[in-house]
Amino acid sequence: MIRGDQHSCCPIGEVPKRRGLHIKVFPYPEISKDELEEINQFVGPVEKFFNEEVDSKKIDQEAKIPPETLKGLKSLGLFGMQIPEEYGGLGLSNTMYARLGEITSLDGSIAVTLAAHQAIGLKGILIAGTEEQKAKYLPRLASGEHIAAFCLTEPGSGSDAASIQTRATMSEDGKSFLLNGSKVWISNGGLADIFTVFAKTQVVDKDGAKKDKITAFIVERAFGGVTNGKPEDKLGIRGSNTCEVHFENTKVPVENVIGEVGGGFKVAMNILNSGRFSMGSGAAGMIKKLIGSEYGFKKKQFNKKLCDFGLIQEKFTLMAQKAYVMESMAYLTAGMMDRPGEPDCSVEAAMVKIFSSEGAWTCVSEALQVLGGLGYMKDYPYERYLRDSRILMIFEGTNEILRMYVALTGMQYAGKILTEKIKDIKKGGVGTALQMLASKLRDSVGRKVDLGLVGEGGVTHCSLEESAKKLEENIYYFGITVEGLLRRFGKTIVDEQLILKRVADTVINLYGMTATISRASRSISIGLHNHDHEVLLTNIFCTEAYFKNNYTMTQLEKYADENLDDSIKKVAQQVLEKRAYLCSHPLDRTF
Amino acid sequence: MNYVRKLLLARELAAGLGILRRAAPRRDFPQLQGLICAQCFRAVPARSIQSSAIRARAELTSSAKSGKEEESRSGALMPFQELFEGDRKGDKDKASFTRAVEIFCQRDIRRRGHVEFIYAALKKMPEYGLERDLEVYNKILDVFPKEVFVPRNFIQKIFTHYPRQQECALHVLQQMEDNGVTPNYQTKFLLLQIFGEKSRAIRKYWRIMYWFPKLKHANPYPVPDPLPQDPIDLARFTLQRIAADLSAKVTVYQMALTDITDAGKEITQPHIVGIQSPDQQDLLAHHNPDRPVFVEGPFRLWLKKTCVYYYILRGDPLPPEEREDVIDPERNFYCPLSLDLDLDQGIWDDEEFDVDEVVEGPIFAICMAGAGDQNTLAKWILGLQHTNPVLSQVPVVFQLTPGPDELPLATDSENGEEEIPQSQHAKQEL
Repeated sequence: MIRGDQHSCCPIGEVPKRRGLHIKVFPYPEISKDELEEINQFVGPVEKFFNEEVDSKKIDQEAKIPPETLKGLKSLGLFGMQIPEEYGGLGLSNTMYARLGEITSLDGSIAVTLAAHQAIGLKGILIAGTEEQKAKYLPRLASGEHIAAFCLTEPGSGSDAASIQTRATMSEDGKSFLLNGSKVWISNGGLADIFTVFAKTQVVDKDGAKKDKITAFIVERAFGGVTNGKPEDKLGIRGSNTCEVHFENTKVPVENVIGEVGGGFKVAMNILNSGRFSMGSGAAGMIKKLIGSEYGFKKKQFNKKLCDFGLIQEKFTLMAQKAYVMESMAYLTAGMMDRPGEPDCSVEAAMVKIFSSEGAWTCVSEALQVLGGLGYMKDYPYERYLRDSRILMIFEGTNEILRMYVALTGMQYAGKILTEKIKDIKKGGVGTALQMLASKLRDSVGRKVDLGLVGEGGVTHCSLEESAKKLEENIYYFGITVEGLLRRFGKTIVDEQLILKRVADTVINLYGMTATISRASRSISIGLHNHDHEVLLTNIFCTEAYFKNNYTMTQLEKYADENLDDSIKKVAQQVLEKRAYLCSHPLDRTF
Repeated sequence: MNYVRKLLLARELAAGLGILRRAAPRRDFPQLQGLICAQCFRAVPARSIQSSAIRARAELTSSAKSGKEEESRSGALMPFQELFEGDRKGDKDKASFTRAVEIFCQRDIRRRGHVEFIYAALKKMPEYGLERDLEVYNKILDVFPKEVFVPRNFIQKIFTHYPRQQECALHVLQQMEDNGVTPNYQTKFLLLQIFGEKSRAIRKYWRIMYWFPKLKHANPYPVPDPLPQDPIDLARFTLQRIAADLSAKVTVYQMALTDITDAGKEITQPHIVGIQSPDQQDLLAHHNPDRPVFVEGPFRLWLKKTCVYYYILRGDPLPPEEREDVIDPERNFYCPLSLDLDLDQGIWDDEEFDVDEVVEGPIFAICMAGAGDQNTLAKWILGLQHTNPVLSQVPVVFQLTPGPDELPLATDSENGEEEIPQSQHAKQEL
């Protein structure tokens, strides 16, 4: 289902897929007028709070969020944004959560504290908890009386489930577990009272074999044996409390198991996959604030204002464009997730996270560059934004591993559909060979791709015709490329990370193009303010992405000259063998 | 070959001219009186040096003949022996060698017999330990008189001018090449001055200068020259070379020690140096305690001219049932580790070579010890237990072949055994 948009990313040009594309992605998801008014009522006070009562510089310097600020956040209800109203929370939908995320991200430390609390810390109880667990814990978590933390990472285990050392052993009476182990880099570790801990338990298989499987537990600090180390001294988000958490013979009652014993892996995956999309709106909010800097107008060189120089103008355009794409992607994903039926938008969320984290890093860097030397000084907030935005590429799944996730999930889906076709081709029947030949000829001559986006009965506005045509062409050729890759590699593509990275990059660009075209189309149709500006931004982004995609897809051909993977791997192997830079110094002599 | 030719020529000339020479009185020059030299040179009118060289040789043989016959024969083959006998103290070093060369150069302005002198010097260099020294080679090349051998007209250019001298210079350069000495600019200028451009000697120089820089770093695993003398340093270098893993750690379990106890008994302790990398430690930690590990050795490794011996601790390869190949779908929190597809890699796209790998068991650690007996190696295993506690439970089997030290003992005892029954026989007979 979610493959509605996945279809846009792994299309085979078949008709049912086209229809799917239209239903899910076009038109751009909207919220009703009442909901919009409701959310704007929330937005007002929160913005006021952040502008007046949050001193980001002080938080950064002291590496602590002052208790008054925390109290203010709690009173605004920001600690229970997604908790249903019956448990005392705000019960906001994903879209509204994303909207508020735009404001909370004005201060990185506060945003991370809130995210660690609700996007991952208590999500487990929300998604997979029983009614009793929800009733017991959610009210106090919503009010902020208790803060939650998510404890998965250990010194030896980041994404590897098999290397988790924390153990939970069943007691003799079978009523509780004894938890032993330590977790590292836990956000809110020092403040939290409720932890979602993942530990290894011994489970008896249906075959009777004993295996170690991961289980999720709700652990209260009151259970005893929970200690935390000192707060880590970080580069950015210094106000957020990050520390080690140690569990020593902590007694956890059996009722506190989330899901079932041995089912912790699925719980972990669901939690991790559901919180990512809000990074898009958060990063967009931050960039929108940075675009508003007046420095470009104040500073003059050679009797010209800075903003009259082309290079500076290019930077502002980049920021505007990236912010637009991030917003579009984030709200599109949130809208799709809000649809009834609980669709699985994990791939889209991952794509939003990758694009937004990298976009935020480049945009903040460019904004700092506009200010030149002043941007480097601590008196201005740009260096703090830069340091805070660096973590975006690392936490919630590093961008590298998320690219693999996006690419592999897509390949899995495409592979299921294409297996039959590829097997036919490999068997080498005359019919299929002729078909392929004809297809290749038509492609080389210049095929007209029509996926129904433009023209009669098309879903996009005619001002976006060119961009939509580029998108269609990219989709079509991407489908062919994916088919070719599966034919060449089959299952073994799991090991070809450099190829998967290119696939992921293409998919992310395609998703961005889809989101922007969809949103711009809606803007023109309704007549939103400055919709022609949106069309401009869409066209710029789509053209850039179109050419980048074409280049990437050329690199994915077999024996392409543009593909330097073999040389890269060779150099890497030589350098890593000696663990040093290998070249002789330029001044060396042999005689 | 040169020596044989010289000897034959010398004998011929001696036969003819020796009588004449003996008739004429010999005159010693005052500056030569300080030297103990069998050969004395007469001042002769300036002639081409070749003929004077022949004469010098003839004089050599004739004067030697007046002395002892056998020594004269060896003297003809090894001229200038006394120059290279070294200092009165008897130590042969660079200073005495260069002094010998200087003495020869100052002796005669025409440098008679320089070719034989150079050959003799080349032969003596290994004794003085100077075969890798470029300065000494330059000094030897300096012995040649300058600008005499440079060809001046086109006939001289066509035919190798002064072939004997050129060949001599080629031998010098060849010895340089054999010992891996790269000549420098001084060598080039010397050769240019002596033989001019386009001579065979200078061409050989250019060939050396082409190949030596190219091949200088040809060996990806060079052995340092000279090898470390200290057995522990040598062991450290060898083990790092064998292990070829930059994360491997070398540990010295025991230093070599000779001790005399109060009772007067001598206790010797051989050195034990071992190496183990973190990967090997992991493998050993996962080793099943029911299976034994084997200590094998000694294995030989040649480093240039030194033979070193090392011992390994290894395990047997796991039987096929126990090798883990299954990928757990619940392994990675963030992305799938394997695709659930029925597609394999295309046959045309498989660019891996079909390597027939022999299944070998893991090697857990390597060591080098001063003695190869079970007690020493047991101490090594005890030392390994500190970092690999599983070794205390795993049975260790020693499969040691007799090392190089033990073989003579074996033959002795055999002889002893054989002798004992013989003596018994003798006793019985008596």
